[in-house]
This record gives sequence, C-alpha cells and structure tokens, in this order.
Amino acid sequence: MATAVKTVVDCISENCPMPLVKTRAAIMDAKKGDVIMVKGTHPQSYEEIPMALDAMDIKVLEQKYEDATWYITFMVS
Amino acid sequence: MKKNTVYLDNNAATRVDPRVVKYMDEFHLHDYAVASSQFSHTPGIRAKESVDTSREIIAKRIGAKPGEIVFTSGETESNNLALMGAVASNKDKNRNKIIISKIEHFSVLHTAERLKRNGYELCYIDVDEEGFIDLEKLESLVDERTLFVSVMHANHEVGTIQDLNAVSKLAKKKNAYFHTDATYSFLQVPIDVEETGIDLLSIDANLIHGPKGVGALYVREGVSIEKIFEGGYQENNLRPGTENVPGIAGFGKACELFDKSDIHKVTELRNNLHTGLTSGIKGTLLNGPGDFSRRIPNNLNLSFEYIEGESVVLHLDMRGIAVITGSACFSRALQASHILLAMGFTHERAHGSIRFSPSKYTSNEDIDYTISNVKEVVEKLRELSPIGK
Repeated sequence: MATAVKTVVDCISENCPMPLVKTRAAIMDAKKGDVIMVKGTHPQSYEEIPMALDAMDIKVLEQKYEDATWYITFMVS
Repeated sequence: MKKNTVYLDNNAATRVDPRVVKYMDEFHLHDYAVASSQFSHTPGIRAKESVDTSREIIAKRIGAKPGEIVFTSGETESNNLALMGAVASNKDKNRNKIIISKIEHFSVLHTAERLKRNGYELCYIDVDEEGFIDLEKLESLVDERTLFVSVMHANHEVGTIQDLNAVSKLAKKKNAYFHTDATYSFLQVPIDVEETGIDLLSIDANLIHGPKGVGALYVREGVSIEKIFEGGYQENNLRPGTENVPGIAGFGKACELFDKSDIHKVTELRNNLHTGLTSGIKGTLLNGPGDFSRRIPNNLNLSFEYIEGESVVLHLDMRGIAVITGSACFSRALQASHILLAMGFTHERAHGSIRFSPSKYTSNEDIDYTISNVKEVVEKLRELSPIGK
C-alpha cells in the first residue's frame, strides 16, 4: 500500500465486540490523516467494522482476508 | 453523520444548567470561605447562608423542615449514611433484620450485604416483570425485629415508580424505619415525606442538572442515626468535613430552576422515541412498566431481540448517540443487570437491553436522528447475527 500505516490494532482471536471496541479506541487516539490497520479473525467483526467506519464517514482503503486472518485499513478523517 | 453528541444517558448524569455553573462560580471565586457560624468572619457567614438557603429550597421540595436535610457527596453516601447510620445508632434495640428490594442501587444493595456479613438478617423483596415490588411479600417479612425497610422510589434502569405509601404503611405497622432512594424521581415525581411517612430519603444533584459530588439525606426529626465517619460537627453532627459550598449552592439553584414544563417536554420526547422505535423495529421489547404514568418521564428501556446491547451501544456511539446497556460486558462488575434479572428476564434479554433517557436539552431532531440510526444499526447487526437473519 502506498500510504504508511501508523497504528496496527491486533484483534486476532478476539470476539465481538472487542475488535470494534479496540478500533474505536484507536480512532479516538488518532489524528486526522492517520492510517490504521485492524487485523483479526472474528468473522462478524470483518463486516461490522466497515459498517461502523461508514457511519463515521471514514473511508476504508483496503479490506482483505489472508489465511483466516482479515485486515481492514482506513484513514482517519 | 451528526457531529454533535445526542446524549441520552440522563438517568446516569445530566448536563449542568449553565445558570447553575455561573451561580457556583461565585462560591469558587469570591465567597469561597468555609461555611461557619455567626461568630466567625463575614465570608464564612455568607458561605453558611448560601448553604442554609439551599437547605431551605430542597426541604420545601419534599415537604421537610430545613433542619432535616443533611448534605452529602451524593446518592451513594446518602444511602450508606442512611443504612449504616441507622444500624450504628440502634444496636441496642433488638432489631437485627433489614429488608430491601432486589432492584436497589448498588449503594443500598452492597451496604445491606455488608450489614449481613456483620450479623444482620437481610431479606429481599421480589419484584414482578415490570419492576414493582411484591407488597404481600413485604408484609410477610416485616416484623418487630425489623430495623428498616429500604425501597427506592423510582428505578434507574427501568423507571418503575413504587407505591411508597403502601411500603410506608407496612413498615410503620411494626415501627420499622422506612428509607427510600429518591435520586431518580426527585423533582420529576412529587413526593412529600410527611404525607408518605418517610424516615430517610436520599437525593443527588447530578440527576437534576446540578453538579456532581453533592447530594442530601433527609432524616426525619426524631429518627436516630449516627455519623459513619469521624471528624467535625458539620451537618448536624451527621456528616463531618468541610461543606462543599459551591456544590450545595449549585444543588439549591438546580432545584430552584427545575421547571415543571420540562417534565412535559421530556415525557413527549420519551413517548415519541418509544413509538418510533417499537413501530419501526420488529422484535423490540419494552422493559419496565407499560403504563407510562407509573414510570419516570425520562426513562425508556428496550431490548432488541437477537443482538447484544454492547454492539448497539458501540455503533450508536460511533454515530454520536450516547446510550447504555444492561449487558454484562458493559458493566464494571462484568455481570448482567441485577435489576433485569430480578424482573425475571433471561440473560439474553438483559444483554440486549438499551436504556434511552432524554432531558430538557434533548431536541425533537435528536429523537428523529436516534430513531433512524437505531433502526439502521439493529437491522444491520441482525443481518450479521447468525440467529438474527
């Protein structure tokens, strides 16, 4: 990816709602323009996090699954 | 996305009225002396006068005499002082039984549990599915060994307003003290300590657009309680320590400013929210009284089937809406709401519960925004839920 990731939020093995809780905390600590990558394994969170980001007008830069781990990268606006 | 927060957690804390803040500033910046007697310096006398003015205002609101009001740091201290103070002062009276409802605030519940560990017999009054206490059960429990009965006026989670007259009569039959935590009903629901026969009553400024960290305990003249920590002789020798003059002044001012028309406004907002959510979202269950005249105006508690409360809270928060849930993960104790469980609800229903509580600062636009966002969040979460599809 062209944009450098500033913060990685590790949610591997954590169930709902912890990935969303940790994502929200990372957003609260971030500055405008910071790029955050969340990685996890809980399937519902993979769908739930982009839904919450959309409601906050935060654009997802990349979303992918690799070997049962998902990655969601977004820029804080 | 809405940028300003829609704050719907007014059963926990309210926004302080700016006029209260301005009034309190006087006592932070100018009249900041310790409240003291007529033999002291002028600033101290002025501080004392402001404390006494608040005492008069608050006493009038509950039909008490000013000398029966003891200022504390809030609901928790008032409840501790009422229960522990009554026990400390009546050890020799062969009354070692205490009775509380199962849906009390933790400051009553845990204080009573401590008293039980210290040898007191603790009895609980059950509640029905709407949160009303079982008066027959209470009647069967109260006897000559009962020191006090404690039943909260209105519940903070589901808004149920208890029939205090009935509770008082049962307690008085056996000459037991009657304590009520009226923190969540104060000013919203009229109360008269004389007419109702209340011996001890707890209130808190934080719920009426006053400051945090200040509350009061009404102690009926002739009711014997003892202070629960040592220090000076303030507050009729029941609550040692320098009085929180700005807080107490702010408490009085918040009482003075409380307008009955705000109750009508809040009731309408709550009703519109209820109609909008229950008509628009299938599988929405009302927790607490269905008869809204038996529920405090600023309370609505709903469960949304198939989804968990904390997910709803998080998604709404990210849309700028502040509500709370009775779910276990949300609680510091990591336990589902003891109130909803006492009402006979399943853990699933407790986990799915959301409390909405508007205030005079909530607008119609806020309610419309909340309805549309709750609908969207609940629908989307149900699509993701394996059992909600």
